[in-house]
Amino acid sequence: MEHIYDMLIIGGGPGGYTAALYAARAGLDVLVLEKLSAGGQMALTAQIDNYPGFEDGIDGFTLGEKMQAGAQRFGAKTEYAEVYSLDLSGEIKKAETSEGTFLGRILVLSTGASPRTLGVAEEEALLGRGVAYCAACDGMFYKGKTVVVVGGGNTAAADAMLLSRVAKKVILVHRRDTLRATKIYHAPLMKAENVEFVWNSTVSQLLHNEKLTGIVVKNVNTGEETTIACDGLFVSVGRSPATELVKGQIALDPAGYIPADESTRTEIPGVFAVGDIRAKALRQVVTAVADGAVASHYAEEYLAEHF
Amino acid sequence: MITMNTELFRNALAQNEKPVLVEFSAPWCTYCRRIAPALAQMDAQYGEELIFGQVNIDDEPALTEAERIELVPTMVIYRSGKALGSIVAPDSKAKLEAFILETLKK
Repeated sequence: MEHIYDMLIIGGGPGGYTAALYAARAGLDVLVLEKLSAGGQMALTAQIDNYPGFEDGIDGFTLGEKMQAGAQRFGAKTEYAEVYSLDLSGEIKKAETSEGTFLGRILVLSTGASPRTLGVAEEEALLGRGVAYCAACDGMFYKGKTVVVVGGGNTAAADAMLLSRVAKKVILVHRRDTLRATKIYHAPLMKAENVEFVWNSTVSQLLHNEKLTGIVVKNVNTGEETTIACDGLFVSVGRSPATELVKGQIALDPAGYIPADESTRTEIPGVFAVGDIRAKALRQVVTAVADGAVASHYAEEYLAEHF
Repeated sequence: MITMNTELFRNALAQNEKPVLVEFSAPWCTYCRRIAPALAQMDAQYGEELIFGQVNIDDEPALTEAERIELVPTMVIYRSGKALGSIVAPDSKAKLEAFILETLKK
């Protein structure tokens, strides 16, 4: 007979490990399935200043490790496994993974989100050869070079700012005529001498030999196309939720997120959605950890009623 | 995991006993930190068959260029001085392990 955990958690980001902490602390038998290392998306963030309790900020990787350690202190376990498929149909939920099959009475989905692509031809082929999705990770390769950032949100603005300290020139391409980023990002970016803006434009083509050499942008109002020479292209056009594992099993909202109210309960009894994959107004570390705590509360209630 | 400068890298590649997995990495590379626990686990699991080393690309720029490393982390497996295969920033422990097992078959 295979071991049945009280709670299986898919994804070891802040939402997942907070659910693990609360559930383990409540005496549940908890397993987190994480494909690489704790922290999820925040593990790639060099400095987090809006997670309360760290007055000087903290780097996301360390915060992820701390959250993992906190949950493990109460007995939560971690298996470094890539989940290939989930079966949510029965009373016992099943995960098929690179490390074998795992069973749980409750399943918490905390798979997070990943960067959205532009959808331009050859984008994938040029990944690592000029096309990048993480300025904090790959920015240093563009010391003294010209880079383009695509996007207009907070991440794009932060990426442009970070790159402006490294690169010779940063060109921000955005499909609207103004940034969507909150005000705190605007002023320093506007002041930076080596940042230029190309408004009302989208990327229509990637130019390259072995590596990226430039892009073609199209003006959304006039249709006019312009070539911009650059060494790097940082795509920062938002994130898409990692819901592949539940497609066909749970209905998604039009934007691709899992509909679950503040209780984090999904349409399937015993299955909860926490963090960035849940339909919600604000996706932050603090809202992810809040989801984790709430999920654990309703999970205990579900266990008491059903098992 | 052995921290390798150019000399230690050359020495490791010059021996014919065991293949060598080298991670080209950098202290500022956040993704390298993410993959570190998985690499340590691979070292514990396959350390008998494979030497695990790490090159800091900031300390060894000439070597990095000679090995044509464009991104970090890049993992390369060498046997008898020759590169058998490489992988850039695998996003799961399972992918890293599959790369090791597939490459060692070559």
